[in-house]
Amino acid sequence: MVCKSWYEIERWCRRKVFVGNCYAVSPKMVIRRFPEFRSIELKGKPHFADFNLIRLKRMVVTDESLELIAKSFKNFKVLVLSSCEGFSTDGLAVIAASCKNLKELDLRDCEVDDLSAHWLSHFPETYTSLVSLNISCLGSDEASFSALERLVGRCTNLKTLQLNRAVPLDKIANILRHAPQLVEFGTGTYTADVRPDVYSDLAGVFSSCKELKSLSGFWDVVPDYLPAIYPVCSKLTSLNLSYATIQSPDLIKLVSHCPNLQRLLVLDYIEDSGLEVLASSCKDLQELRVFPSDPFGAEPNVSLTEQGLVAVSLGCPKLQSVLYFCRRMSNEALVTIARNRPNFTRFRLCIIEPKTADYLTLEPLDVGFGAIVQYCKDLKRLSLSGLLTDRVFEYIGTYAKKLEMLSVAFAGDSDLGLHHVLSGCESLRKLEIRDCPFGDKALLANAAKLETMRSLWMSSCAVSFAACKLLGQKMPRLNVEVIDERGPPDSRPENCPVDKLYIYRSIAGPRFDMPPFVWTMDEDSGLRL
Amino acid sequence: MELQLGLALPTPNMVKGFDLNNHGLDQLKEMGGLEAWNKAAGCFADKDCVKSKRSFEQAFGNFTEECRTKPLLLWSGQPNEEEDHKDQKKATFSTTDENDAEEDDQVVGWPPIKTWRKKIFRQQQQPRVGRAENNRVAENENGRSIYVKVKMEGVAITRKIDIKLYHSYQSLTKSLITMFAKDKKCDEDDYILTYQDKEGDWLIAGDIPW
Repeated sequence: MVCKSWYEIERWCRRKVFVGNCYAVSPKMVIRRFPEFRSIELKGKPHFADFNLIRLKRMVVTDESLELIAKSFKNFKVLVLSSCEGFSTDGLAVIAASCKNLKELDLRDCEVDDLSAHWLSHFPETYTSLVSLNISCLGSDEASFSALERLVGRCTNLKTLQLNRAVPLDKIANILRHAPQLVEFGTGTYTADVRPDVYSDLAGVFSSCKELKSLSGFWDVVPDYLPAIYPVCSKLTSLNLSYATIQSPDLIKLVSHCPNLQRLLVLDYIEDSGLEVLASSCKDLQELRVFPSDPFGAEPNVSLTEQGLVAVSLGCPKLQSVLYFCRRMSNEALVTIARNRPNFTRFRLCIIEPKTADYLTLEPLDVGFGAIVQYCKDLKRLSLSGLLTDRVFEYIGTYAKKLEMLSVAFAGDSDLGLHHVLSGCESLRKLEIRDCPFGDKALLANAAKLETMRSLWMSSCAVSFAACKLLGQKMPRLNVEVIDERGPPDSRPENCPVDKLYIYRSIAGPRFDMPPFVWTMDEDSGLRL
Repeated sequence: MELQLGLALPTPNMVKGFDLNNHGLDQLKEMGGLEAWNKAAGCFADKDCVKSKRSFEQAFGNFTEECRTKPLLLWSGQPNEEEDHKDQKKATFSTTDENDAEEDDQVVGWPPIKTWRKKIFRQQQQPRVGRAENNRVAENENGRSIYVKVKMEGVAITRKIDIKLYHSYQSLTKSLITMFAKDKKCDEDDYILTYQDKEGDWLIAGDIPW
């Protein structure tokens, strides 16, 4: 609560607006309140929507919207669209043509209808203000290289450039020649017939990039071309090799050249042996993400186990953020990790097969994750996997006092599990749950807690339609949305569990632009109880 | 550091003990009893249920005050009754079980990998090759997808698929049936795959080799 004059001053001065849940606030409200804002970051989809759990278009930004932005905000400077969809390169063309002062255009993880790469030519020849461009999500085969080169050439303040896969290796040298001041660079496809002239050209141009700290891209890597980046490796703090299908020996060679690495994204081809080298070479490592190369295979295709994670946790004193996909884990390993690395703030473990037990003892992994929350007192984000009972939630509720986001799948035995989390985790903002035997009781017993959180997602759990209605009726500041593709929830008995449930606090009231398989539980739904 | 404004929060006192459990849910009564809930240690004390259930208006109308004192309903620390749990489990997991039974299938949305990353995995997927052949494969897989719109009769939503991921009409049809089965129950034999050629004619797929 603030006084009126403070409120007024603040709203006129605010330049940056971050909306964590676009459904909780209406655009009208934002615009009315912050007439002078220059930068807006909008988030829509609940996190689990990224994984095909819904076909719902959560954050639809149409070309018309982009046009509206372009025409209405003549001095528009920054546009960051995170995991959005619904727009095409036509919309981008309008942005490019109209926003003379645009500094940042970041389309991370978006699904864009890539009609034509020529949208880039819509940046006028007089336009020079670009500082950051991330178009790595674009898919089109044709890339307008000359337009890109000219754009890069005239924007001398360009610091971040992340190209898409369509840009071939032999074009990169030309582009980089125009931008030796780049700090962050994402290549396109990193494959070509091995030719010495292309190689030396590339190596030469990388050598001239004295400010380069971050590299990404590397689709379809041919290992022979990797040494071309060695000149910049000693200064690299961030390296994203998560599309690079190269094997452990090549990865080890590369990583050994990067002693100042703080952030590494890589496929599990790196294997335990590669992670051991990482642990001894990269003492500044803060964030590690290891993605699965064959997530749907029944058998492991690489030798990556809990040992790799243990090695990095023991060897890297600054490690605080981890996302790790693997196929086996033990309580012993988790306890070792927790004890040696209490500075974790983000710990996301995905054991690929649901409900996998401790491979040594065949017990649930409750104790292991319990150690994580007990030792890592500043833990803000946690993702669980493996075989887990209600006990792990008791540990979480007891110890994870700074936890803000929790992701749970195929875990727990009863409502008690959910109750531990909702009643114990004081800092909880986002909770996402799928395929757990959590029903009405814990949810209803902790209804007020939901108003202190940004959102709750539950899918394939045991929450009944009746409970949803009750929540919707009694909690006017929450939007309680039932998502069910089987048809209207009231065509089934009330005690039938709903398919998916999304609850979030809102000052905008219920939505009206939802697809037909989303129902808001509001005050009226309670009348039928 | 920038000032952050968040949505106004209810006062902390209101959070504790606001419990909607006693607002007329029939199944709760059927489940047999309300036991006292010892929250502190999560221990499973088996006390008698709280006799004084408040009426709807009393409970909800004055909830600001009530909540500061004690929960409207005290809930047991006991796990769900076994029968109940099993039934719930059936309803919840039936979809998953069906999925698991299908060949080559995974649980929807698991492991949690973003769609675009999954596409790349599939494009890079090959029959198991040794390390030496990695380069060759990288060159063969040019990763250029060919997207085609597919519509099933009776289903409102059109889907887009990447033809390059399939090796035969059979695997394509099977996969499409699986995809559309989410919208409508369908039997493989009931459906025929047709496509529109360059001249705009509709032809039955399968006459020309893949």
